[in-house]
Amino acid sequence: MKQQLEKLEQEFKKSISEVNDILKLDELYQRFFSRKSGEMSEIMKNLKELSGEARKEFGKLANQVKSELEEIYTKRKGELQQHEWGNILEKECIDITQPKLSVEPKGHLHPITLVQNDLEDLFTSMGFMVLDGPELESDYYNFEAVNITATHPARDMQDTFYIKGHNQGDVSNDQSPWVMRTHTSPNQARALEKYGAPLRMIVPGRCFRNEATDARHEHTLYQVEGMVIDKDINFSHLKAVLEVVAKHLYGQETLVRFRPKYYPFVEPGVNGEVTCSLCKGSGCRVCKQSGWLEIFGAGMTHPNVIKECGLDPKEYQGFAFGFGLDRLVMLKYGIDEIRVMKSGDLKFLNQF
Amino acid sequence: MLISYNWLRQYIDLPNSISVQDIADKLKLSTVEVEKIEYQGKYLDNIVVGKVASVQRHPNADKLNVCTVEFGEKYPVQIVCGGSNVREGMLVALAGLGAKVRWHGEGELVELKKVKIRDIESYGMICASTEIGLGEMFPLKDEKEILDLTVVGEKKVGQPLAKALDLDDAIFEIDNKSLSHRPDLWGHYGIAREVGVLFKKDLKEYKTSEIKPGKGINIKIDNQTKDLCYRYMSVAVDGVVVGPSPIWLQKSLMSVGVRPINNIVDITNYITCDLGQPMHAFDASKLTVKKDKLTFVIRRAQEGEKFTTLDDKEYTFDNNVLLVADEEKAVDIGGVMGGKNSEITHETKIVVFEAANFDATNIRKTSTKYGIRSDASMRFEKGQDPHNVELAMRRAIELLLEMCPQAKVVSNVADIKNFHLYQGPIEFDLNFLTKKIGKEIDHKEVVAILYRLGFSVEEKKNVMKIKIPTWRATKDISIAEDIVEEVARIYGFGNIESQLPIFSITPPEKNELRALERKIKDLVSLEHHFAESYNYSFVSPHILKLLDLNLEEHIELDNPIAKDRPYLRRSLIPNLLENIEKNIHSFDEVRLFEIGKVFWKEEVGEREWKGSDYLLPKQDTMWGVAYSAKGDKKPFFEVSHVVTTILQRLGLECTLESSTDHMASWFHPSRFAHVEVGGVRIGYIAELHPEKQTRFGIVSQVALSEIDLNSLLLLISFKSVYHRLSEYPEVMRDVAFVVHKTVLHTDVVKEIKAVDLLIGNVELFDVFEGENLGQNKKSLAYHITYVSKEKTLETADVDKIHAKLVKLLEQKFKAEVRK
Repeated sequence: MKQQLEKLEQEFKKSISEVNDILKLDELYQRFFSRKSGEMSEIMKNLKELSGEARKEFGKLANQVKSELEEIYTKRKGELQQHEWGNILEKECIDITQPKLSVEPKGHLHPITLVQNDLEDLFTSMGFMVLDGPELESDYYNFEAVNITATHPARDMQDTFYIKGHNQGDVSNDQSPWVMRTHTSPNQARALEKYGAPLRMIVPGRCFRNEATDARHEHTLYQVEGMVIDKDINFSHLKAVLEVVAKHLYGQETLVRFRPKYYPFVEPGVNGEVTCSLCKGSGCRVCKQSGWLEIFGAGMTHPNVIKECGLDPKEYQGFAFGFGLDRLVMLKYGIDEIRVMKSGDLKFLNQF
Repeated sequence: MLISYNWLRQYIDLPNSISVQDIADKLKLSTVEVEKIEYQGKYLDNIVVGKVASVQRHPNADKLNVCTVEFGEKYPVQIVCGGSNVREGMLVALAGLGAKVRWHGEGELVELKKVKIRDIESYGMICASTEIGLGEMFPLKDEKEILDLTVVGEKKVGQPLAKALDLDDAIFEIDNKSLSHRPDLWGHYGIAREVGVLFKKDLKEYKTSEIKPGKGINIKIDNQTKDLCYRYMSVAVDGVVVGPSPIWLQKSLMSVGVRPINNIVDITNYITCDLGQPMHAFDASKLTVKKDKLTFVIRRAQEGEKFTTLDDKEYTFDNNVLLVADEEKAVDIGGVMGGKNSEITHETKIVVFEAANFDATNIRKTSTKYGIRSDASMRFEKGQDPHNVELAMRRAIELLLEMCPQAKVVSNVADIKNFHLYQGPIEFDLNFLTKKIGKEIDHKEVVAILYRLGFSVEEKKNVMKIKIPTWRATKDISIAEDIVEEVARIYGFGNIESQLPIFSITPPEKNELRALERKIKDLVSLEHHFAESYNYSFVSPHILKLLDLNLEEHIELDNPIAKDRPYLRRSLIPNLLENIEKNIHSFDEVRLFEIGKVFWKEEVGEREWKGSDYLLPKQDTMWGVAYSAKGDKKPFFEVSHVVTTILQRLGLECTLESSTDHMASWFHPSRFAHVEVGGVRIGYIAELHPEKQTRFGIVSQVALSEIDLNSLLLLISFKSVYHRLSEYPEVMRDVAFVVHKTVLHTDVVKEIKAVDLLIGNVELFDVFEGENLGQNKKSLAYHITYVSKEKTLETADVDKIHAKLVKLLEQKFKAEVRK
């Protein structure tokens, strides 16, 4: 038996030195050590024929041999594996530029949504509420409440969509005509009425102007309205808040300038320009060589608006501002045709 | 509006150290929008006065001529010219080789080189005004017209054009919109005042001398509309010789884009541009003068009254239009345009000038309603200072007497006034200013700014009493905040340091609806690969009719811009269907969604105003989904998957109800489901009826869904959806069976789950229909998961329940269970 064991040991060592791949190595291992039919197991079956000390001694020896051989096996396996992994450079080479075949299509959010979400998040982080109001609005909120008098040109049929059966002539004195809101500003009044002061809010939303559409004009447009009212809110605060927005949109180095502009619901009224994000102020096609892009209107809330909403303009003051969202989107992505935004064309939508 | 730099210098001394660009920059930052500066003569190098010596038809081109043009050298030069008005003897702008021109007034400047045009050599170009930057000065009447220099008198042939035209001016183009609230800036004098304030230069007085009344005609003014006409002044001058104006006047007008006509018309136009006060002139011989008495009646038009304007257009007016009439007929639409019947001609001997002031709103209404825009209406609709009426009249008479020394005033100076301006005083103190702008401005500086702007300031105990100048008092300035603006803009908005406001850190109230919208947008696009569409809120009757929808149920615009989309959408789907149709030709699969408001006239929403009894229509926010793919014959399941899984993401289990009540006829009759959450209907999932699909021209079947987010929002509870994990292994069994087609999956699942509490998940993994199953039959196959929270299930336990389940299916659904 001892001889059998020695023969097995030699045989194993010889065979293993001839084996060159892992599969064959495992076969070899099975041949010797398989529990059911391995050569080692066969030898061990004879163990019961021995008795007492001899059995104990042989058992010890057999285990010694087994663990020695297994160690050889493990080492050999490691060597072969190392060798095989060294080969995968060629064996498992793929074209890493090739895309995955038959993939699910991607989903797309509209660019207005993307820019609107971004601004909502910015303002929320500064403690502004995000509000909305009706798109079909009363003449009262759209005009009167925000200090746009009955004779103001904005109320002409050319600028405002009126609703059939709810026009000036159709309604009684205690009713207000209906319009498609021409701006998000009616929500200045709605918000002041509902929340009072102090107030910090923005209103992103859809507005309507009765004007012919072309590459730069749309009858349906998006604005983000904002308002801050408290006891001591002044023009320097307005400047700072809008500078934050401009830098958020176009980078820290962006400059903002304010120029006088008339809006009925503010006094003083300004429009705001930022250094052109494309040419950094040196002048290009997008900014019409001026170096500046007009992106918002703003001003100190007119005392008539504050009064109309039930607050005392001697006690409360503040500012309001408005961004044209379509314009921000067009600038951001270099879109030169406003109508494409409401085309529902996947060739457009799939780009975002 | 165009403003001439040289003209401004008549009223303020501007040293050369202040450049034209400086002026434009300051005006931009403190006053108005200067859109561009045009330096006269900027593009006129190598361009000279030429004289056309001969014109011959081009042998190879119908619309071209071959001209020879003299230009002061020994031999004339040959030019191929396409000008429609070219003729022999004409003085023209001749651009030689090397000159730079802008073809047809568009695009970049191009340097001229010798060229052959249809085989004929051309050594330069005869230019149109727009091609050499003189478009403002010589507006084109016809697209193909070349600049005819003959109109500006004899010029030396060969002289550089810039010199010949004395072009040393710079012209500011100011955006009219930026002037809409500044009536005082509609003339050079007003702009000069503003420039004076910005550069701290004194404005010269607008000097005029009093008119000496004459004898002959007694002018009377009968103002029957005191609410529409605030001042009317009229003076007659005899001995007028109508002819060309002096060159300085023509030049001034041309520099701001006004074409000279004759001395009388030019005077009125000049004063309009100078003071912003429009004027008009009548030929007295065409007015009714009875016994030396001329009566102007200022009245409303009679309903249906006809009137022909100077430009030969006939209008029929309603009685909102203000007319100036003599005793027999209307002669002028007050403040808008004069009448053909009394216009100045070369025969005119006695001129009657009109200077007046009218109600701004009424002028605007007339001009927009009848589409008559004039330089006069544009100014009056901003609300002009009635005091300018007198200045204008005096200046006009002065100019006329200067030009026609033999002429003299032959009437009284008729002048009726009927206005009151609110000139304050406004009480103002510096603390108020500081509180509004967040910066202290020195008292002296504030007073200096106001003073130069024309305000007068009186001070008592630190309170200023500020009197508004008449030219700012028509509507522009009335409250202390207006004064804040005046000071701040001149001081410079840029000089006010910015500073963020300080607020309590109370977090803002969350807008739950917006949060829901955003969540759904993210899920439907990122998880389900849909693209977001933004459609108009308007929908066309054409589309509504394709769907057999009732137009009457839709709110309608009173004045739609696009006649094809007059209705407000009640649903997002019709426009989404249009999107599908548009895209399905280019894409195999179209997955679109939109979130937006719809308008329901039969339900009420917000109040018209606080405390009003009247309510606006309901405007809920909807989530619409549309999907179609070539080859997908049951797109319903894709959309129902999207809707149900997104609702699950929101923590909601929905049920699909097959009930067809309240189902519109444009849906597929059997592929329709109401979406319900906790028994509340929040929307539907459907396929489009194949008939409507064909009408839309969509090739493959379309599935749709629309969910009311306002309703959905009320149902969201954000309850926990976690189930404790079982420590014991799950056992899975499959069951497959054939049932009648009408058996619903939800019913099957409900029944199976009711069999035993140990039944966990019930998952449908195969549905099959085929002839071998028999008519109206389908085969369903489910994975059934058995699990206990207390022990490892024994095979015998599961077998027992499974057998019970099979028996139930056989009894309840007449299922043939495969064994």
